[in-house]
Amino acid sequence: MNQPILAIRTGHEGTGHEVLMERSPYAIDKKKLGMWIFIVSDACTFATFLFGYGYMRVGNQNWGTPFEFPTILNGILMTFVLLSSSLTMLAAVRATQAGQKASANKWLGVTMLLGAIFAALHLREWFKLISEGWRLFYNPTGGAAQFGACFFSVTGLHLTHVVSGVIALAFIARGYNQGRYDESHVETAGLYWHFVDLVWMFVFPLMYLMNAQTK
Amino acid sequence: MSSNQEPGMRSYVGIVIGLMVIVVIEVILTYQHLPTRTLLYSLLCLACVEAFVGIMYLMHVKYETPLLFWTIFPSTLFVLVLLNYIWPDAYRMARMSLVK
Repeated sequence: MNQPILAIRTGHEGTGHEVLMERSPYAIDKKKLGMWIFIVSDACTFATFLFGYGYMRVGNQNWGTPFEFPTILNGILMTFVLLSSSLTMLAAVRATQAGQKASANKWLGVTMLLGAIFAALHLREWFKLISEGWRLFYNPTGGAAQFGACFFSVTGLHLTHVVSGVIALAFIARGYNQGRYDESHVETAGLYWHFVDLVWMFVFPLMYLMNAQTK
Repeated sequence: MSSNQEPGMRSYVGIVIGLMVIVVIEVILTYQHLPTRTLLYSLLCLACVEAFVGIMYLMHVKYETPLLFWTIFPSTLFVLVLLNYIWPDAYRMARMSLVK
């Protein structure tokens, strides 16, 4: 069956130089499709890191559970901050779709602020662990030396994504204000932000809760 | 290019609160002194539920064409299944450390 043909915008409309292309079978903007391809590949990257952590943990009988409740509490707080930022990102996307520039700016700002708070809480946790003697290949509690490498690499990769997301949102917000970007750019950035949030839904239970001291 | 059937902000607030409740359940489970394997499977199941809800509703896959869903999920799942090849070696390492 032939797909319907349409002319895509090339800036040459009406000049006889329009480019004819088949309609995308996904019926979504090409930026969103590109972001989805990135998300699938990035999900595989995170999965590889988490499987690597699982490999280390299963293969090591002396793993230990070093995280006390204050660390878990900090993790819960970080999770709630990140989930709230997903909500504010949705509000920003809604505002851009409705053409409410002031509201979109406000919600994008709140999302960036929550992302920055998440990063700050994360770094506070890292510095606390480092001050207690944790290093990439040194475990001050006497357990498996690979614990630090697993924890810092997985959470560090996620933290890099959050910080990158905050920077990307700042650029998108600036471009949106200047009229260079439209609602599809904000929506695509929102996809990335939700993905980073969902990755944390695996990092938190596996890296924090599975290493919690419960006795 | 999402459809107009998307839920309103009130529904999104409900979804995010639901995700927060699942996080609280995960923390409660952690302190129930469950066997490690039971705890791991419980936490993974809850995390998968969170991810599925997030992908379908927050990332709007539910409101896009089904082809997007059928492109993303099987390919990602395929990679995740393939990654399980590491476990026999992980258990071999565990047995070796017991022998020492």
